[in-house]
Amino acid sequence: MENHSRIKRILPLAIFLLVGCHTARRGEPITGPLHLSPPGERGRLVFQQRCYQCHPNGEAGLGPALNNKPAPKRLMKTQVRLGLGAMPRFDHLAIPQNDLDDLMAYIMELRKADKKPKL
Amino acid sequence: MRTHVVCAALILAFTSGCYAFRPSNGGGQTKIPASRAVDPNDVALPAGYRIEPVAQGLTFPTGAAFDEAGKIYVVESGYAYGEVFTTPRLVRIESNGSVTPIATGKNNGPWTGLAFHDGNFFVAEGGVNEGGRILRISKTGDVRALVDGLPSFGDHHTDGPAISPDGWIYFGQGTASNSGVVGEDNAKFGWLKRHPDFHDIPGQDITLVGQTFSSRKSKNKTGAFAAFGTPGQTTVPGAVKCSGGILRVRPDGSDLQLVAWGFRNPFGLAFSPDGQLYVTDNGYDERGSRPIWGAPDLLWRVQTGLWYGWPDYSGNEPVNNGRFTAPFSRRPQFILAHHPNDPPAPVTKFPVHSSADGIDFSRNDRFGHVGDAFVALFGDEAKAVGKILNPSGFRVVRVNVSNGLIDDFAVNKKDNGPASKLKKAGLERPVAVRFNPAGDALYVVDFGILAHTDKAHPQQGTGVLWKITHE
Repeated sequence: MENHSRIKRILPLAIFLLVGCHTARRGEPITGPLHLSPPGERGRLVFQQRCYQCHPNGEAGLGPALNNKPAPKRLMKTQVRLGLGAMPRFDHLAIPQNDLDDLMAYIMELRKADKKPKL
Repeated sequence: MRTHVVCAALILAFTSGCYAFRPSNGGGQTKIPASRAVDPNDVALPAGYRIEPVAQGLTFPTGAAFDEAGKIYVVESGYAYGEVFTTPRLVRIESNGSVTPIATGKNNGPWTGLAFHDGNFFVAEGGVNEGGRILRISKTGDVRALVDGLPSFGDHHTDGPAISPDGWIYFGQGTASNSGVVGEDNAKFGWLKRHPDFHDIPGQDITLVGQTFSSRKSKNKTGAFAAFGTPGQTTVPGAVKCSGGILRVRPDGSDLQLVAWGFRNPFGLAFSPDGQLYVTDNGYDERGSRPIWGAPDLLWRVQTGLWYGWPDYSGNEPVNNGRFTAPFSRRPQFILAHHPNDPPAPVTKFPVHSSADGIDFSRNDRFGHVGDAFVALFGDEAKAVGKILNPSGFRVVRVNVSNGLIDDFAVNKKDNGPASKLKKAGLERPVAVRFNPAGDALYVVDFGILAHTDKAHPQQGTGVLWKITHE
């Protein structure tokens, strides 16, 4: 019985994390200009250098979309440090800890950008 | 036991979301439409900008330029991937959208770009049959070659040109192969049958590590910078007319010089308002005898005399650092035994496979973003270039060249990808951008439909010239 309820709790979460919710599309033509905090501004520079080529604007490209996945910061940081599947890892030399914190700030703010397309 | 089942289900859920297990979903992977509809309402721009079609029904347009009277001209390339040959043409676009032919070319396309200077047009002739050329075309249609014999038979062609502030003609020359080794992927492009001995040529004398690469269709292995099926030499002499170079020549055709090399496909060239040369460079593909995975397209600030990393670096990252290894594949190794210099850092990186092509700079506050580069992203050609999870490119972006930040500028409203895949009527494949002489309008050359199934399927008569203004 206990395992049944555990399965009932975990599987939907897995599917939710996999499929995501909301549109992943961002960018000024779609959602208007993005207003970032100072850590978000710094994080955007890190994202541009390290992440944008596979996850442009946090959308899918070579890699999957980030904007529509509710993965918590701790999980995302772990994935950045360790890599996952085809995604390479980025160690402290590639992304120093302060930069990683700023990167998380940017991703969270990007995720929360206007979810209602302005169109 | 049930916990194990749950864990297995979780692992399956995550891995099935991961790259290796998902099918490719490129922008050209779609049914080939019978025709193309055009509707600017299907295009999204930042607030205050509007877009309108100026001319339609063009065949493989690749570049635009204005003459001294402010009239706009377009080149139609005369060749498209998929081995489709038409007639290269220079045409003038009239105010009602009709075209007036000015000059036609030989069966030696693609014509990849256009510039106007001092009363003449300058065209980069891609040269798949007779080699690459830089042509000077008078306003009455007289065509003369200023430069010929460029190594342009392969995957990538003669590109540009752009006029420097001091009046030189700068142009690019793309590489023969993906990453230095001719292979079966080049046979799929079609050129290997036409030119079986063609291969890459370095911009200076180089020494190779000597690795050779196998293919199924040849008993002999192929070396780098060597013809298909031959091991090649360890020492390879360089040449001015090299693969992956930026060159310049005077408008009378004299004094051809190599400016820099080590690019892969330096398609778009433009001078910024402060006179600096910028170049868009298409990154490696995951194909052929030496596939390189996950390589972005690049924007370079060009300095004379430098080597820019091809075939051993992507930007300033070595291809053997583990980040460019496709899932379940071997890590690529260096081809060169010694590198001429450490490649500089690129200005920015565009999305993988997005095909960053034409570029121009804003110079007028009436349009806005003075000093920013506007770049046409032609869009991916998956699966021929490798797998991709979602269409990449198919838009015009704006680049702050001081910090490398990229912002979308013109995209399709419904979703990412070309209009044909979205069953809409917006952008298909932007390939070039050009500001008018007043600087208050940005013209976007849209190549038209290029679908990819088993091979490339370009559709004639689907090219469009768009105009974007600030309201």
